[in-house]
Amino acid sequence: MKLLKNLVLASAFSGLIMGSGLVLAGDPADPSRPDPAQIARGAKAWADQCGRCHNMRAPAELNDEDWYVSVTHMRVRGNIPGDMIRDIQAFLMASNKKE
Amino acid sequence: MQGFKKLFTVLSISTFIALSVLILGPPLAAQEPTNQELLERIEALEEELQYFRDILEANTEKATEARERAVAAEAKAEEATRTAESAAASRTARPLSDTKWHLAGYADAGAMFRTNGGDDTFAFGHFNPVFHFQYKDIVMFEGELEFEIDEDGKTEVALEYATLNFLVHDNVSIVVGKFLSPIGQFQERLHPTWINKIGYAPAGFGHDGAQPSSEIGVQVRGGISIGKRSMVNYAVMVGNGPRMGHEGGLELEGFGRDDNQNKAFGGRIGFLPVPYFEIGGSYMKAAVNGLEGTGALMPTTGKVKIWGADAAYTRGPWDFRFEYLNTVRGALNSAEEEGGEVEALDRLVLKAWYVQLAYRLSEITSSPFLRRLEPVVRYGKFNISGNHHLEEENAQTRLNIGLNYWIAPSLVARIGYEQRKFLVEGIKEKLILLQAAYGF
Ligand code: HEC
Repeated sequence: MKLLKNLVLASAFSGLIMGSGLVLAGDPADPSRPDPAQIARGAKAWADQCGRCHNMRAPAELNDEDWYVSVTHMRVRGNIPGDMIRDIQAFLMASNKKE
Repeated sequence: MQGFKKLFTVLSISTFIALSVLILGPPLAAQEPTNQELLERIEALEEELQYFRDILEANTEKATEARERAVAAEAKAEEATRTAESAAASRTARPLSDTKWHLAGYADAGAMFRTNGGDDTFAFGHFNPVFHFQYKDIVMFEGELEFEIDEDGKTEVALEYATLNFLVHDNVSIVVGKFLSPIGQFQERLHPTWINKIGYAPAGFGHDGAQPSSEIGVQVRGGISIGKRSMVNYAVMVGNGPRMGHEGGLELEGFGRDDNQNKAFGGRIGFLPVPYFEIGGSYMKAAVNGLEGTGALMPTTGKVKIWGADAAYTRGPWDFRFEYLNTVRGALNSAEEEGGEVEALDRLVLKAWYVQLAYRLSEITSSPFLRRLEPVVRYGKFNISGNHHLEEENAQTRLNIGLNYWIAPSLVARIGYEQRKFLVEGIKEKLILLQAAYGF
């Protein structure tokens, strides 16, 4: 009985997680349409989060694709929430252009 | 517009006068004007009217022309905007493809000189390529290989980690495969030589230490923002767990197959009241099987329990780290080597800790050279009880004093002094360490 209860609870929980995941896991940011508000949030989150374990890496170091993947890597390694990660990706992909 | 109004008023007044003259006759008809006179007046008025008509016409023409010009200008502006937009779009990249990849990793080379006798050693470097592949925001693969040259000049290759990371939710990732152990902070976060301020592991945090290095299994992990700047992060893992190592020690590594029914279970939880300060706690529970061997005793299973605490303060030029790990393996019957004689082994306790402080000079000087310097000190201790041989070999205090020269955020040249004091025999070993490390 207890096992059954736990199973129901566990599946409800994972259902919840997966469900909200499907809603939240939107399409990746399209770098050709940067949103200024998102970039501003991203700059702040970058300054807060990205120097916690190692030196802050310079935006100009990587191209858009590399930043996108690397920051996703940091989402997992650094346990940084996904919404913050999308803002940081948008910021880095908007700041890495060499004029 | 102003001109038109005036013109219109003038015209209306003159028309009104003209009409009144025509219909009502002159208001002050003292003397009746002759027809001739009237005609002349009408002609004069008509002339005047024509004059105003001409002005009106000219103005209308101008207005039309102006309107046309405005429309043309608008079209041009629109075109210019369109060109600018498409230029901007091509300057920022096109939308990225669904599959993205990135080749990263790090490499280092160095030398070690012993100040009190012994061999000096050159170039004991690493080359660790890391591969990343990502499909949309659904899954990411990460894999790291380690190429090392051993003492005999042979190249050793090891799979440091290889995992599939499922990004199921903004606050939850599921990691499957061989991963770096989330227990403590050194292994998962600090060990790459471009990150590690000293370049080498603290006593008890490398091979044969108290910290698990890797695990094969499943992890659920993520971070959750609390309020504006606080955050909680967590990693919970289930894995095959450790095994008995040589001479009664523990191999706290990921093994491809579990040797017992007890899975290793554990994790770490971290709390950041502000982004630059984190405290963490770790726990892991597992079991190991005694090694088979000869003699009257049968191997038994021993419990393994690990707990730890860590802290990090990384504000501005400061980088402070603290970590403590307490690893206990219960008493069990085991051979010291596979096939040796099975003995009753005591409870083994490994305790390792360090504190480390680094300060980047960038804030206090404007000299381009000095700004790149970062002095660092670390002090730590590795205590072992319950196995005399391991204690003799590894138990020590270790002091490091170093200087990093940062050429770029992940490119460093460093020099360091290390003093190891072995606790059992009281021997001191002094080393000078040189290293260049590059994370890419
Ligand atoms: C919790 C610690 C931590 C945080 C926070 C963190 N990093 Fe990292 N980062 C690491 C570690 C550890 C590595 C090395 C990974 C390896 O070699 O296995 C790394 C590697 C990298 C690399 C090298 C390429 C790669 O992907 O391995 C880049 C670039 C990078 N980080 C950028 C960032 C950025 C940008 C942020 C902020 C979003 C960030 N890091 C936050 C720990 C962290």
